[in-house]
Amino acid sequence: MPGLIQETKLFGENIPWLQGLREKGLAAFKRQGLPTAKTEAWKYTRPRDLNADDFIVEPSNFLAEIRAGLDEAGGCRHADGNCSCGGHSHKSGCSCGCHDCSAEQEKGCCQGHEADCGCPEHELDLRTELPFEAYQIHFVNGKFIPVHPALPRGVEIMTLMEAVLTDEAREYLGRLVDLEHYPFAALNTFYLEEGIYIRIARDVELDKPVVFINHSETGAENLFYNIRNLVVVEAGAAAKFVEYYKYGGDPKSRYFANIVNEIFVGHGAQLRHYKLQNDAFKAGHVALNVVRVKEDGRYDAFALQRGANLGRNETKVSLVGEKAGACVNAAYVMHGWATLDTTTDIEHLAPCTCSDQLVKGVIGGDAKGVFQGKIHIAPGAVKTEGSQLHKALLLTDTAEIDVKPELEIFADDVKCSHGAASGELDENMLFYMQSRGIGYEEARRILIDAYLEDVINKIGPEEIRGWFRGQVK
Amino acid sequence: MSKTPLLEIEDLYARVCDKEIIKGFNLTINEGEVHAVMGPNGAGKSTLSYVLTGKPGYEVTSGKIRFRGKDLLSMAPEERAREGIFLCMQYPVEIPGVPTMTFLKHAVNAVRKHAGEPELDTPSFIKMVREEGKALGIDNEMIRRPVNVGFSGGEKKRLETLQMSILKPAFSILDEADSGLDIDALKVVADGVNALRDGRRSMLVITHYQRLLNYIVPDFVHVFADGHIVRSGDKNLALELEEKGYAEFVKEK
Ligand SMILES: Nc1ncnc2c1ncn2[C@@H]1O[C@H](COP(=O)(O)OP(=O)(O)O)[C@@H](O)[C@H]1O
Ligand SMILES: [Mg+2]
Repeated sequence: MPGLIQETKLFGENIPWLQGLREKGLAAFKRQGLPTAKTEAWKYTRPRDLNADDFIVEPSNFLAEIRAGLDEAGGCRHADGNCSCGGHSHKSGCSCGCHDCSAEQEKGCCQGHEADCGCPEHELDLRTELPFEAYQIHFVNGKFIPVHPALPRGVEIMTLMEAVLTDEAREYLGRLVDLEHYPFAALNTFYLEEGIYIRIARDVELDKPVVFINHSETGAENLFYNIRNLVVVEAGAAAKFVEYYKYGGDPKSRYFANIVNEIFVGHGAQLRHYKLQNDAFKAGHVALNVVRVKEDGRYDAFALQRGANLGRNETKVSLVGEKAGACVNAAYVMHGWATLDTTTDIEHLAPCTCSDQLVKGVIGGDAKGVFQGKIHIAPGAVKTEGSQLHKALLLTDTAEIDVKPELEIFADDVKCSHGAASGELDENMLFYMQSRGIGYEEARRILIDAYLEDVINKIGPEEIRGWFRGQVK
Repeated sequence: MSKTPLLEIEDLYARVCDKEIIKGFNLTINEGEVHAVMGPNGAGKSTLSYVLTGKPGYEVTSGKIRFRGKDLLSMAPEERAREGIFLCMQYPVEIPGVPTMTFLKHAVNAVRKHAGEPELDTPSFIKMVREEGKALGIDNEMIRRPVNVGFSGGEKKRLETLQMSILKPAFSILDEADSGLDIDALKVVADGVNALRDGRRSMLVITHYQRLLNYIVPDFVHVFADGHIVRSGDKNLALELEEKGYAEFVKEK
């Protein structure tokens, strides 16, 4: 596996606990290796193509910048009082002059996009593309772009390494990931560096969603990048977190994005998590969301996979407290030769927990959809309810779907259901529309949209729902 | 005044699932004419309507169909619709998840675009649907529902008629337009259909029973049996048929 394990200088190698975690990640990855056809959790999705020799792991901007900051100013150069940096700690409202892409910052945030380097403009571009108000965080090709939204009280957003420096991340980072059973998450742990840390303080209800956007731009070709996000929603707090993987460079560029989100939903807290994966069509995108939900807490997710040649969005939710709940919904729309995999694992570990999943896919071309859904009800988790439904629409004879539902029930007095169905577009409906003058392609489009309507409607906030509705088209 | 042929069917043979259903069918319908085709159940009346509208699986093995002089059989179903052919279906199709309003808008704009007319904006479109719907007893609630889903038999037929009213086709085929309708609903549908009779539009009224023809009075009546027309006449032929039954006519040939 020379391609995926590379010597690279990472930030904070002198921080023992962080470095220790990385080493554990590396060891765990080496023990497991890349999943093969014999790996049960990956039996339908073969990550062969991700094991190429020509992937490049680039050093982060973050390291370069922090160095620059430390070297030039002998530590903190932030004038404002609330700065508590170990180099750069961007608290809310930090608008330090060090990120203005002036000549001296050439090695900073503009690295990687030579052609139109001029971050302020870039920043403008980046900010105009969502149809709803949001706190936007931008990454380009897996690297953080230091532009910080002004945040209200009770919310912190910083890079993961800043959260490491301030010791905020320490009690959360790596706590939820089972390194021995998730090889890509182990690899991600080895490369711990890029990513963000979001903390919503107790009882704070965040007014606008936090949107994390990764732009795959020119220069993405052959990159292998790892992003690790930590989301902490404290007791009684509520927030919306949107991930958007967007490609804007060469549509044919091949790169591999390996993402891990560790998500902590506190007592009575609520997190709504929406994801749009629209990577370039030759890219690989492997993501693991590990979520822990405490008593009365709620995790509500919707993930739409649209891009990538190999895409996997895996979500593991542990409902650890009574009456904790999760809705893990997803959709995928694919053509060509893609394989898009939605894997879920919901662990009911306490009484009166509930989970609900609706996953719908539209598969065309020679593409393959994979759905693996597991519901585990632990002994003692009585009065729990778990339901799961997967449906796929096959548009061609060569489209393929593999479905593996798994129920593990070790408690009495539970309600658990699962179902799966696949079908084709209804010829009679198509003809009915055509006989009214609607073109064949348009009629198909209308039926496909209608097919996805119920899963799109699972998205609560109207403005986000509207955005996703536009994205499935 | 010389008549202009709108639809010309010549020596048509067609099959479904390797079963020959239409055998040597001939019929010419001129502009402004209303023709009724009557025949026993299973004669192939619905098959004829699907052959005319191009439904997949209905295979024409020989013969010609011209519409306004153009070769109809080489056109896709949507092209036929845009050229002005409309089928009021015997069993309208339910389309879950697609609001009736959305469906109607796509249809109207597709036909308008083909005719070189600008697409209707939403307010004018809604206004038109409301006006046409009113006469048919179709309210807003009904058109917000998914197409035909949960509609009663009568509602389905009224929605078919509404589509016909807003698409204003040059040629309408009504397949058993009265099936499942009580007499009041039948009058509503017939009024909607008759409103389109302007001396230029033409119709093919397919029915098993004579009853409908009291409300939509045809210029010509044809008896359809064994895959083709066995006898033609005026509206009185329908009454004769009602009296004697189909057996009489089928024998004749
Ligand atoms: N899709 C089909 N598959 C097989 N047989 C069909 C199909 N459609 C019609 N038929 C057969 O064709 C014949 C004519 O049917 P149809 O056109 O519906 O008659 P009508 O409308 O006059 O009652 C019947 O024998 C029917 O069974
Ligand atoms: Mg019939």
